[in-house]
Amino acid sequence: MSLNFYRRVAFGLSPNEKPYKDPLNWAINQLDRIPDLLWPGTIPTEKDLRKKYGEWVYGDREVLRKKFKNDKHAYRKAKDELRIKTGERYFELNEHAIRHFQTKYSKQPVFERFWLFWGNHFAISEKDFLAEFSTGPYQREIIRPNMVKTFEEMVQSVTTSWCMIHHLDNSESFGPNSKKGMEWGETINENHARELLELHTVSPNAGYTQEDVIQLAYIMTGWAHKWDRKNLETGDIWFDQEMHQKGDKIVLGVKYKNDAKRELAKVIHDLATHPICIKFVSTKLCRHFITDEPTEEMIDPVIEAWNKSNGSLIEIHKAVITQAYKYNEITHKFHPPEIWLMQLSRMFDLNIPLSFEKMNYTFKSKPNNRQRQLSWILREIGHSPYRAKQPNGWSDLEVDWVSPELLLRRFWFASVELPMLVKSGNRSHGFILSCLKNNFEDHKNMASLIDNFRFGTSDYDLGQKYGVICNLPGVLKI
Amino acid sequence: MNCTRRNFLIGGSTTLFFSGYFPKISFASMQKKNLIIISLRGGMDGLTAVPVIGDKRLKKLRKKLILEDVLNLNSDFGLHPKLEIFHKLWQKNQAAFVHATNIPYTGRSHFDGQNLMETGAHIPYKEKTGWLGRGLLASNIIGKGLAISLPMPLLLRGVPQNNNFFPSPDFVETKLIDQIYNEFKGEHNELIKSTLDTIRQRPLSMQIATDSDDRKKLALEAAKQLKDQSGPRVAVFDLDGFDTHAAQGGVDGAHADELEEVNKIVTILHENLGQAFDNTLILTLTEFGRTIKQNGGYGTEHGYGSAILMAGGLLKKSQVYTDWPGLKKKELFEGRDLNSTIDSRAVYNSAMSVCFNQDPEFLRKEVFWGDELPDLSQDLFKI
Repeated sequence: MSLNFYRRVAFGLSPNEKPYKDPLNWAINQLDRIPDLLWPGTIPTEKDLRKKYGEWVYGDREVLRKKFKNDKHAYRKAKDELRIKTGERYFELNEHAIRHFQTKYSKQPVFERFWLFWGNHFAISEKDFLAEFSTGPYQREIIRPNMVKTFEEMVQSVTTSWCMIHHLDNSESFGPNSKKGMEWGETINENHARELLELHTVSPNAGYTQEDVIQLAYIMTGWAHKWDRKNLETGDIWFDQEMHQKGDKIVLGVKYKNDAKRELAKVIHDLATHPICIKFVSTKLCRHFITDEPTEEMIDPVIEAWNKSNGSLIEIHKAVITQAYKYNEITHKFHPPEIWLMQLSRMFDLNIPLSFEKMNYTFKSKPNNRQRQLSWILREIGHSPYRAKQPNGWSDLEVDWVSPELLLRRFWFASVELPMLVKSGNRSHGFILSCLKNNFEDHKNMASLIDNFRFGTSDYDLGQKYGVICNLPGVLKI
Repeated sequence: MNCTRRNFLIGGSTTLFFSGYFPKISFASMQKKNLIIISLRGGMDGLTAVPVIGDKRLKKLRKKLILEDVLNLNSDFGLHPKLEIFHKLWQKNQAAFVHATNIPYTGRSHFDGQNLMETGAHIPYKEKTGWLGRGLLASNIIGKGLAISLPMPLLLRGVPQNNNFFPSPDFVETKLIDQIYNEFKGEHNELIKSTLDTIRQRPLSMQIATDSDDRKKLALEAAKQLKDQSGPRVAVFDLDGFDTHAAQGGVDGAHADELEEVNKIVTILHENLGQAFDNTLILTLTEFGRTIKQNGGYGTEHGYGSAILMAGGLLKKSQVYTDWPGLKKKELFEGRDLNSTIDSRAVYNSAMSVCFNQDPEFLRKEVFWGDELPDLSQDLFKI
């Protein structure tokens, strides 16, 4: 088995790992339990961060905007101070550190790859202040614990999470015949219902109609954040009967009797176990781990495992890995920038992320450049993980990641920034050679490309070396 | 003649070539026409950019957002004072506006709206290509799109070999690019190979590191490329920040700051395109306009109808082209937004037909699925 399998399903091998005797078992054995988060620094809870979110929006919207309505300069200044006080500029940086620390050091890196996958399948795109306060904890507290449960359970948790409900506006969706809908003349917001069908479960392949979307939106009415004057939209999610559309609903030909909050679990059960959903999500998994256009042959065993285990994610993940192993030698996959960065960080033991002591934040001034570095790099290479542009998340297709500037950014990172992230003990040529040997069959050929710089240890010399080896065909694409 | 990376590197022989006999070709008959789109993300407020004059209702609903020192356009409309270049060009018949227009989207979601303004479709996320990319492909204009952004914008997708310009924070050595290119030579990786080809053929000026946040430098480079007869024919700029829920202000608020950015880009393009400006059309694109009424934070909410700002020598004349729907409550869309009486896609379709020398009927079918889009070329553009 080629060494690239460790990059196909994980992040490559770190300098203190050696290739495993049985790579398939090594990978499969990582999926049964949830590894602890390793970040030694602060890991705030979703609830804590939602409170900060509340302080920020309340402070800005209800206080500052009114106080400084005629003075945009004073308004901006006060707003910047509030940013510092509430950590509006800090928490996302901390979340990136938690995430990258995990993919770098986890003893279950294959599990972590699935974590990234599901976080992007149920993506939270850039909206309001979700990336600042909520998307990170959502990945940790909603996505992660469900990865050893069933797909259906994952969909249930995601759909009723504060983050997804806010992201897709379900709090603004009123049943037109509900008490509040009638009183206030409000109606549904279809956004969440449409994405639950289109992106999260059955996909447009299921051939649902606009009427199906409306009916599902009816079922979902009432699942909203509890609004109050102080917390605004950051209150907990509850089911508000007074917003809920009364009467029976029909989605994809199935009738759901008028049953208040219980309707949602029933429809999610049907959607998450729908054969078209199973095929759609299995295809996406194969696309991520095998190749952009996976064949039915590749996908079918995953579907089979899904059916056999009633949607157990552990079993599904194992089937995906088995297929990735089977097709490792004959398929290719181009990795998006963040995964590429994580692989470089693990293979070459880069100084990413910053140490937790230095990530410590005092809420007294703006985060410093060092604290912002990882997030800045992610942005510059075009892949800020919690800021997907659309609810369908970051693309998993090569064509979306290859533009002249996006490739140049990788060349730039590897040749200019990366040398500054090499640890002082790792600057020798021998270190690079041993990392290459650990991760690439054609390490000798790779070594020959950088041989001219074998005596150099300056940032410039390292840039010459890493610039090339990180962007070779077999590194950009396995 | 533009100095590309290749002929820069083979400088010696280039000099030789220049000193030799150079055949005289007249370009006049085949002048290249440029189409530049500036995306204004967040919802540009047409009533702030091109305010209607003397409307009592607007004055009442927008007490804190009313502009003083509006630049005069005609008896009905004025222009935001930060849009100076448009006012200057207006005098020369090189600026015009389409008002009360929008894509056919009323959902008020930024993401759906921006997706639709780029795909030109009716259902968000359904189409994977942009109307501009499809227009270029239908017109068989390949490799002539230039995006001033990091990823390839959806708007330009659908046609191969587009270039983009959004330089990294530091210089990437030619040597490194060449070395990587060599390693890809034997590979069956057509997409990366052709992208590396595009990178290597880029003019040297596009390789120089600059601050991508500096829109001035980006616009300067775009103008330089567009001016080149063999350079790109289409450029796409991306601006955001038009979502002014608070402190929108009038002459000097948050919306004004964004309009100033548009003004800056157009000014630079105008100054640096030189003669080529006569063969250029610049059009703005946004997902929706904003509510008539100011909100509690002296900003505005997501609305519907907006305006298209236009500049360039290919405009027919200075005018505010509109079928004005009025601002009385019952004339507003859902009682709150300026209505849209012109499908903005008709404007873009007509602009493409002019710049790509194509039959608008043909483009309408190829690009917009045959949707009912009247040909406005005669009214708006020089043909």
